[in-house]
Amino acid sequence: MRKRMYGGLLATAMAMALALTGCGNTSGAGTENGTQPAQGEDAQTAQEQGDGQELVLYTWDLMFPDEILEGFEEETGIEVVYSKFDTDEAMLQKLSTADGGDYDLIFADDYIIETAIEQGLVQELDPSKLENYENIDSRYQGQFYDPEDAYTVPYGAGIPLIVYDPELVDFEITGYADLWNESLTDSVALVANGRVITGITLLSMGESMNTEDTAVIEEAGQKLLQLAPNVRLIQDDNTQNALLNGEASVAFLYTSQVYAALQENPDLRVVVPEEGLGFGVIAGFIPSKAPNSEAAYQFLDYILDAENSAACTQYVGYYSTNTAGEELIPEEVSQLLVAPEGKTMEMVENVSQEANDVYNKVWTEFKAACD
Amino acid sequence: MQKKKQGGKLWLAAAPLYLFTLLFVAGPLVYMVILSFQTRAEGYGVLNVFTLDNYKKILDPVYLETFGQSFRLAVTSTLIIAGIGYPFGYFMAKCSPKWKKRLMMLIMIPFWTSSLIRLYGWMIILQAKGALYQTLHFLGMDIAPLKILYSYPAVVIGMVYALLPFMMLAVYSSAEKMDWSLVEAARDLGASPVKAFLTVTLKLTMPGLLSGVILTFVPSMGLFFIADLLGGNKIVLVGNLIQDQLTRGADWPFAAALAVVLMVMTSLIIFLYRKVTHSTELEGIL
Amino acid sequence: MKNKTKLPGIFLGIVLVVMYLPILMVVLYSFNEGKLIASWKGFSLDWYVQLFQDEEIWEAVKNSLILGLLSCFSAAIMGTLGAVGMARVKWRTKGAVEYISTIPIMIPEIILGMVFLTFFHLLNLPNGMVTLVIAHTAFCIPYIYMMVKARLVGMDKALEEAAQDLGATPVRTFFDITLPLILPAVASGCLLAFAMSWDDVIISIFVTGPRVTTLPIKIYTQMKTGVTPEINALCTVMLGVTVLVLTLSGFIQKRFQKKQL
Repeated sequence: MRKRMYGGLLATAMAMALALTGCGNTSGAGTENGTQPAQGEDAQTAQEQGDGQELVLYTWDLMFPDEILEGFEEETGIEVVYSKFDTDEAMLQKLSTADGGDYDLIFADDYIIETAIEQGLVQELDPSKLENYENIDSRYQGQFYDPEDAYTVPYGAGIPLIVYDPELVDFEITGYADLWNESLTDSVALVANGRVITGITLLSMGESMNTEDTAVIEEAGQKLLQLAPNVRLIQDDNTQNALLNGEASVAFLYTSQVYAALQENPDLRVVVPEEGLGFGVIAGFIPSKAPNSEAAYQFLDYILDAENSAACTQYVGYYSTNTAGEELIPEEVSQLLVAPEGKTMEMVENVSQEANDVYNKVWTEFKAACD
Repeated sequence: MQKKKQGGKLWLAAAPLYLFTLLFVAGPLVYMVILSFQTRAEGYGVLNVFTLDNYKKILDPVYLETFGQSFRLAVTSTLIIAGIGYPFGYFMAKCSPKWKKRLMMLIMIPFWTSSLIRLYGWMIILQAKGALYQTLHFLGMDIAPLKILYSYPAVVIGMVYALLPFMMLAVYSSAEKMDWSLVEAARDLGASPVKAFLTVTLKLTMPGLLSGVILTFVPSMGLFFIADLLGGNKIVLVGNLIQDQLTRGADWPFAAALAVVLMVMTSLIIFLYRKVTHSTELEGIL
Repeated sequence: MKNKTKLPGIFLGIVLVVMYLPILMVVLYSFNEGKLIASWKGFSLDWYVQLFQDEEIWEAVKNSLILGLLSCFSAAIMGTLGAVGMARVKWRTKGAVEYISTIPIMIPEIILGMVFLTFFHLLNLPNGMVTLVIAHTAFCIPYIYMMVKARLVGMDKALEEAAQDLGATPVRTFFDITLPLILPAVASGCLLAFAMSWDDVIISIFVTGPRVTTLPIKIYTQMKTGVTPEINALCTVMLGVTVLVLTLSGFIQKRFQKKQL
């Protein structure tokens, strides 16, 4: 009896081990299929395609409020399949594996969209199909990733800003240069994006955030090293917590973090740096072989509507890229959701590999100098 | 005749391990070496063009310093761990069987929780206005918020804490097997307690100590999340660098070259260990 | 002499207290009403309620269990059979293969994570449970293999030979004689391997796909994106379960030993 049990165990185990070693290639493929919903939460979605009643939306988690998704479904009768990715890179890999198919509409970061366009994975946009196209804030158009506005519709913008606790800082911070102030030793929290931090250093030197001049980048690196003694921590997620729990007195934060910090502690002061701003855009595009591009147009038009756009903006906490929507954002939060006027704004763009290597090096050097 | 037949059947028993090892351990390692000589493609991916640039890049002072930093941290942590773990294992071996069992259990329990959460416990303690600060305040000390978290000492604390049990167990297992009558003999022959310890005990427990050193030194070079969480990203170890290159930097060949160098370094250490102890196994966990 | 015995006890005690201090903090703060750890806002069981309602965490727990069991299982088969087989074959490559098979636990985990990431990419194997199991099996094997090997060395060969002399086939000998003798070693190897798999972040983070989250990965991302005390509550639950299992197994072991005697 006992012996047979062992034998049975062994046989199944062997079969399993073989399956693992030998046939592993195929067994995972099914679950990784792009159009399948991420998890149980969007189980409503796993329907067959082809009846023209479905929109496969691919973006990060928590990008659209439920009322917008439901409102769209009610108005058009098209069912939204909300598929999620974690990082831009993962999205691009999926999309290129699917050869531009599987998904109808994708929202992602500017720089990755540029790569996707270069790889021919994006179809040209026909603005005549979008009634609300004119609502788009022209400040966010014609940017590096889509200079002719031939492919994308901006959804939101992020502008990292300085936030500080006036009780702990005894002078008024007005720009990036103040981060170097001697009184801030071991008190500054920074987001962990090398290009952004090197970028503001370049801005404080009066240079472009995207310079490809390696000598200038190295110079910025030298200047960054002088910032090192002031750095308390470098962290990408929930950096605002450092400010809230007294770990740091000054922080350079992403837009959504600024929003979160002020909601916890309204006494914090936000600085729009005088040297100019860096910003990033989240935009939507239709993949080259989208199964249902008509539905994608309908969705884009739906969220470009002033009222809907305002609802989305307040939900995600990014700056509005919709002039008509901006006006509908309540006064008390508008300061945080409508980008400041009259500042020079520059995007962090993809640079040559040579320059990119120097940016990487400078950043590593800086981090190592901080301890 | 019969022997040969048995060998034939036993070949089957070893076959799965052979296949798996060649395919999924040797294979990836060989690919890592190949990758480290390939060229990075513009944007994403790797080009099949031979280059030594990835290794040349490591010679850049920035990256050499990363190895230096990792090495220093590993040495510091290992020394502290040995300082605490050796006496712990030694004293534990001298306990009564009942206490040995209890102590063993106390060491093992944390293993079954999450090492990450235990680090998080340290974050609670060390935070600017965390548990330590509040305790000191409670005791009447009027101090400024602490700045221990996100510093080099915090990373050392994390490393020591994460790896200490391995040293304890390694020393304990060799001290436990030790023939204590040898120490007594040395004492009877007139050796002072210190001398008896240095000449007999230390020598006999050396395999445990050395294997403990390996078990703490080697992993400490790669534990990137400790530097990440407790160091506030300010301490860049080889592990962090590799992780960075794999994810954000998207430079796989460079990451591979870094890994090859790291692997050569650790293999050298293990090779030395084997030369010294003439043993292929590590005492303690195995 | 009596005085001397106290000092070691104090030392052991202090080290253990420091070892358990962070764990105690986590347990304590799992009952904190507030969200930020800087302050104590009062006793509350809210986080436990949230924990038991959080499907993502339990999904991660399930994944980790499945992963640990599958990897241990396949590693136990390959490791045990391998150790038994290798003890008797005399191939020229044997030493090398034996060495290679133990590499996964001899090098910093980050290297293993990176080689698997790149290798699976090369094979075009999509990251997910399959890649996780392969990677975890690779580092589970050495624990089991070495345990069994050590056990085989200390084993009385005469028993096996006797069985064979009596006409038992090698397969039969393995199941009737060898396996029962090495089973304790297999079990303790598995236990160790499972503990390592259960707690692994570094390797998993590189080979997991977007749809599979293991518990350590979930904890790591939670910690990076602002810890919620839910994780503290989970740790407390894990601690409770561990203590319970250990007590139970100690109890069973005692009874078992008595029976054997």
